[in-house]
Amino acid sequence: MHIPDGYLSPSTCATLYALAAAGWYSALGQIKRRLATRTIPLISVFAAFSFVVMMFNVPLPGGTTGHAVGVAVAAIVLGPWGSMLSISIALAIQALFFGDGGITTLGANCFNMAIVGSFVAYGVYCVIGRGTDLRSRRRVLAAAAAGYVAINASAFVTALEFGIQPALFHDPSGSPLYAPYPLRVAIPAMMIGHLAVAGLAEGVISAGMVSYLQRADLMLLRGVENPARESETALPPANRQSPRRLWWVVASLMLLTPLGILAAGSAWGEWSSNELASRQTRAHIESASGNQAAPASAPAGLQRLSNVWTAPFPRYAPKFIKNPAFGYLLSAMFAVGFLGLASLLTGFAGRRRWTIGERS
Amino acid sequence: MSSFIESTIRGFARAFSNSLLAEAAASRPGLLQQLDPRVRLAGIMVLVISTVVCRQIAVIAVLFLLAAGMATASGLPVMLLAKRVWAVILGFTGLIALPALFLTPGDPLLTIPARHLAISSQGLRAAALLVLRVETAATLTTTLVLCTPWTHLLKALRSLHLPAELVVMLAMTHRYVFLLIGTANQMFESRQSRSVGVLSGAEQRKMAARTAGVLLSKSVEMSHEVYLAMLSRGFRGDIHLWTDFRMRVRDYLGLTAFIFAGLVAVWIGR
Amino acid sequence: MDRTVGKLTPTFAGQNVSFSYEGIPAIRELSFQIEPGERIALLGANGSGKSTLLRILDALCFPSSGSVRFRGEPLNQDRLQDQQFALNFRRQVALVFQNPDVQLFNPTVFDEVAYGPLQLQWGREDLVRRVEQMLDFMGISPLKDRPPYRLSGGEKKKVALASVLVLDPEVLLLDEPTATLDPKSQSQVIDLIQQWKGTSKTVVTATHQLETVEDIADRVLVLEAGGVIAAGPPSEILSNPDLLLRANLIHAHRHSHGAVVHSHPHLHGHSRHEHDH
Repeated sequence: MHIPDGYLSPSTCATLYALAAAGWYSALGQIKRRLATRTIPLISVFAAFSFVVMMFNVPLPGGTTGHAVGVAVAAIVLGPWGSMLSISIALAIQALFFGDGGITTLGANCFNMAIVGSFVAYGVYCVIGRGTDLRSRRRVLAAAAAGYVAINASAFVTALEFGIQPALFHDPSGSPLYAPYPLRVAIPAMMIGHLAVAGLAEGVISAGMVSYLQRADLMLLRGVENPARESETALPPANRQSPRRLWWVVASLMLLTPLGILAAGSAWGEWSSNELASRQTRAHIESASGNQAAPASAPAGLQRLSNVWTAPFPRYAPKFIKNPAFGYLLSAMFAVGFLGLASLLTGFAGRRRWTIGERS
Repeated sequence: MSSFIESTIRGFARAFSNSLLAEAAASRPGLLQQLDPRVRLAGIMVLVISTVVCRQIAVIAVLFLLAAGMATASGLPVMLLAKRVWAVILGFTGLIALPALFLTPGDPLLTIPARHLAISSQGLRAAALLVLRVETAATLTTTLVLCTPWTHLLKALRSLHLPAELVVMLAMTHRYVFLLIGTANQMFESRQSRSVGVLSGAEQRKMAARTAGVLLSKSVEMSHEVYLAMLSRGFRGDIHLWTDFRMRVRDYLGLTAFIFAGLVAVWIGR
Repeated sequence: MDRTVGKLTPTFAGQNVSFSYEGIPAIRELSFQIEPGERIALLGANGSGKSTLLRILDALCFPSSGSVRFRGEPLNQDRLQDQQFALNFRRQVALVFQNPDVQLFNPTVFDEVAYGPLQLQWGREDLVRRVEQMLDFMGISPLKDRPPYRLSGGEKKKVALASVLVLDPEVLLLDEPTATLDPKSQSQVIDLIQQWKGTSKTVVTATHQLETVEDIADRVLVLEAGGVIAAGPPSEILSNPDLLLRANLIHAHRHSHGAVVHSHPHLHGHSRHEHDH
């Protein structure tokens, strides 16, 4: 997943560098506030550790081996900000010193693996493991899931970056100037390898390490920022209403979304300009509106504005999905996932969880 | 004997040899070694950026030759570059670029009727651009790294206004990477000598995870000690770096040459 | 710190110092006094609390109860917050850690020795001169640009010593300075410590290597389980095998001389010993 120089256009690199820089800057601020003068030795040595773990050839089920990034463990032990910084430093050393990954693409690599990876890993770990005992098996599973999902999220973002290159950056004759494959090739190509191998490696290492820490070094599992007492768990205590139940409700609702297809036609007031032009639809509108006649054609304003924005999933069915029921389901999953991630991110950014910082 | 241990240990050995290589090359008298590290860093960065911005294959090819020439003039043997950089990238990026020959839509150049495949000229151009770019950029960065002591590189970054904390962290991380590699190496070697027969997949996974876990504990423990050592020597949060760089005439000339080459390449290759 | 007061005020004075780490007591109600110019050996097995005591003396951790004073000044968290006092203290008191790798955290040997002076913000020319002098003194000038991971154990120890000695401290705290060193490096370190005899430098060495104690100390404090069980001159302490046995500094196991097999307390490190049967 380390992108070499030459695969991404200058503007892509610059944008991702800017995003990464914003991330590093915030992370440094957050970490210094919590760790104060302990920051330098802790983050540095942890980055060195991540670097070494990245070199492990992890044996996987099926006989293959893969490499882990260690982002899940970093997020668990250091928190998302510390993880972001450590993994970025490890990646920088890999790029600068070992030529693994490019220099112009360092921002992109850090964004994909260190930033996206840390937040996704932390989010998944919290969602699954929150409120459970530090020694529970659930934590191990949470770590495995965190690692697996985070690596695949990183791979997906990487694939997006690759996939948009040909469309945006090509010469007058049409040859792509950088990564030559469009989204429909880049995404499956990247995802297959990571869903099958790299994600597993990450999951295996993350789960194994959490399991080891549960037995040998419980303090670390609590998170290095929290010099908390034995009785406290590393994550904020669960609300009385377990969020687990809420997730089940959301999941069931998602599965039921295709029922929407049963409702014929469009909802009242949600007609597109095409529908207003159709005689049949106008007849329906009339009967649903207490026998008030519909306008003869779409109002001018509606015509003008309806072309301004085309939704990514028009009519809840992405273009490549033929089956409308599946389209509904996919749209629902996407929306829930997106909203979930957004709320997690804003929650972490805003909340000051770690109130105990050590002053030197 | 577990193969994953062997291959991991081999990876460790490669890291050490890399650092020794860098030390040897940095002390050789050569073209780049004559220049101030800041000029080296800035100059090579300019050329890498030019390589990525350029759109003409011919110009990138010239940059490649320039990079290769600089490398050899700085004491890096061609065989070394070929083995470590060029062949590796050809294998990796070359393989990735291969399907692009057939998949990129455009004017067909070469048709293989038996397989209904056609190589488009656009595909050929795209593949060539990609491979050439990656090779050139990698040659430039490898030359920089192998001809400059790591500490000079870091201090040069500082003068490019990278925050002092990040520079110190990069330095400290690099320093401890080798210590941790040594520790991990020892752990793996001792486990390898203790294990009799072939371990099952699950046992191997457990071993890998366990080694990583022990390394983690040791690392965090060590970081606490390092912190105390820093405090003991007067660390109170501010960073003071020691640099000894001085610009001479040849450094200004070198910097100008780099920038000129970069600008010309971008202009001609736009 | 006012040097004229040094003659009267003890360098270190500890009253009922206790310290626990994660619920486990490491030091129990220790009281001690160290006069300026003394060379003290803290003798004890691993876990006896000697490393912890050295760190308390270096104000790296603070007692959970009791008090420690440095030249009359209390050593506590508040006092160390004062920039002036802290920097002064750090210059005057130096600790050499047992594991040199944690003390060598800079990219090169030169950077390492220059670190202390840099924190104290010495002038540039002064800094370079003093650092190069110190490297010369310790015989490590050729290693100037080496990174720490390319140094041998003995070389690392010398760099560690150089990095603290460059500040010319008045107090030296040494944690197991000769452990893991080859014999040649060991004797070089011991020579260094011997040089300080009779000077104004106060030296506190924590060690479990009995054979070095005579050379490096004028007074010995024997530690066991966080408390002092004996104090006195080396000759007295070293000739008391029961004491040493109790402190786990020597052992008694069966061994044979020719046909005779017996057991008595002894210390390995010599290949033959003779005594009456």
